Amino acid sequence: MTISWIQAFLLGLFACLSSMPGLGGTSIGNYTLGRPLVGGLVCGIILGDVASGILVGVAMQVVYIALVTPGGTVSADVRAVSYIGIPLAMIALKSYGLDAASADGQALATSFGTMVGTLGTVLFYGTATINLAWQHIGWTAVEKGDYHKLYVVDWVLPWISHIICSLIPTMIMCKMGAPMVDLIKAYLPMEGIAMKTLFTVGSLLPCVGIAILLKQIVTKAIDFVPFFFGFTLAAALGINLVSATVIAGMFALINYRIKMISMSKPAVADGDFDDEEEDI
Amino acid sequence: MEKKISKKTLSKSFHHWYYGNLTCFSQEHMQTFGYLTSMLPIIEELYDKKEDQANAIKTYTAFFNTEPQLGAIIVGITAGLEEARANGAEDVDDETINGLRAGLMGPIAGIGDSLVVGTIIPILLGIAMGMSTGGSPVGAIFYIIVWNLFAYFGMRFLYYTGYDLGGKAVDFLVGAQGEALRESITMLGGIVIGAVAATWVSVTTSFQLLNSEGEAYLVLQDKLDEVYPSLLTAAFVMLCWYLLSKRKMSPIQVMLLLVVIAFIGVLIGFFDPGLVY
Repeated sequence: MTISWIQAFLLGLFACLSSMPGLGGTSIGNYTLGRPLVGGLVCGIILGDVASGILVGVAMQVVYIALVTPGGTVSADVRAVSYIGIPLAMIALKSYGLDAASADGQALATSFGTMVGTLGTVLFYGTATINLAWQHIGWTAVEKGDYHKLYVVDWVLPWISHIICSLIPTMIMCKMGAPMVDLIKAYLPMEGIAMKTLFTVGSLLPCVGIAILLKQIVTKAIDFVPFFFGFTLAAALGINLVSATVIAGMFALINYRIKMISMSKPAVADGDFDDEEEDI
Repeated sequence: MEKKISKKTLSKSFHHWYYGNLTCFSQEHMQTFGYLTSMLPIIEELYDKKEDQANAIKTYTAFFNTEPQLGAIIVGITAGLEEARANGAEDVDDETINGLRAGLMGPIAGIGDSLVVGTIIPILLGIAMGMSTGGSPVGAIFYIIVWNLFAYFGMRFLYYTGYDLGGKAVDFLVGAQGEALRESITMLGGIVIGAVAATWVSVTTSFQLLNSEGEAYLVLQDKLDEVYPSLLTAAFVMLCWYLLSKRKMSPIQVMLLLVVIAFIGVLIGFFDPGLVY
């Protein structure tokens, strides 16, 4: 399986739209086109094999289901995962003769995706750094009172950053993909330690994504209780996600009501309590 | 004469935010330029004189970053406040607007990350992945449609609510009621994230002890699951959390450490993905 220049260009274009400061905008770019599940569909259409694309996309999506970028800290770059990782994994699967639906195929896809996604953070920091130059132009324009230039700065000039950090790297990686996958195949047999490690890493990495989210909401040990409550619902009781959300919603509602009640008459309650103490 | 932002301009301002909130991102000024392009149509309509425009735009040159979807409400609030300022409201000046922006972006980012990125997106993706098993595109299409309708109309609603309420929205968001709401939403997020972890993450060990006939008399994975189902997954999530929060490691460092753990685990036979051609 080879990727033509036109296909590589299209993949590169989607990389420009989908990355974290992406040109498709946050909702459509990063949170739609950047999600590996959607990336799988897009890559599948471009490369002419929708079913494999989706299967690879689903496998990688599991890893990045909860990808947050708190304060601009990026642990994996979605443009690299979705538009470099997925095409390379599709080539690798074909080349290894693995079925994308099999457990091995899924593990291979995950490892490829995470490897590329982690290396891809370089692209994220590159884009953000080049954007500094455009922002500088923006500040000069504001000082001069040339406000309409702000539109150019926010919407047009970042394309240059993306041609350098998204389009070109994606095109090169996808064009080089087939020979590179062959190389990996020749030097890293499936039964070898390196491949086994790669597969294992693929299954461990999702823990980091979950942990990043937890870091946002857990500050003291007791904050873990809701997390383990949800974990137990799904792992031990086998409750699916939507049902778990309904249960979670009920608890959140109860919590909210209790908070509101305790707030509406705190002074009275406190007063009564103090009186009783004094009586005793 | 009372100045009023026209419907067309408000809609323009909203769409500028909806599209451009992060397009010109840098580590120095994350969403500042998205904010500027969103306020520009409003400022141009409200102020005729160039120097008044310059004064107003200067307010929004301060650093801004929050969760962009939920953050639409902050942009809406400042649109309302800017209108009040143009009409000569004495209690609205540079400082009030910027104090409010700085005060809201933290709490809104906190709720936004746990509610939008931690809860809604994983749930939608979880449903969509279920629909796409076997390679069907239905799930991906479902996600594209549902998420985008939700994001667009949700952001629109927040923006216009912020505009209508203006300063009143702030009292709610940072007040006691807002605090209770935030805490409840965080609780919901925590439970759902737990369910997401148990559903979509699976760490298993292949470690087992064999007797002389070659039969396994101790399968570690089964023993661990008897203690608490998916114990190993939970343990690894806890480990990563510990490294990130308590050891202040960066996500990249944690990932590299996991590579080392995986390598050692494979060497001693703790991990074995069981690959066969």
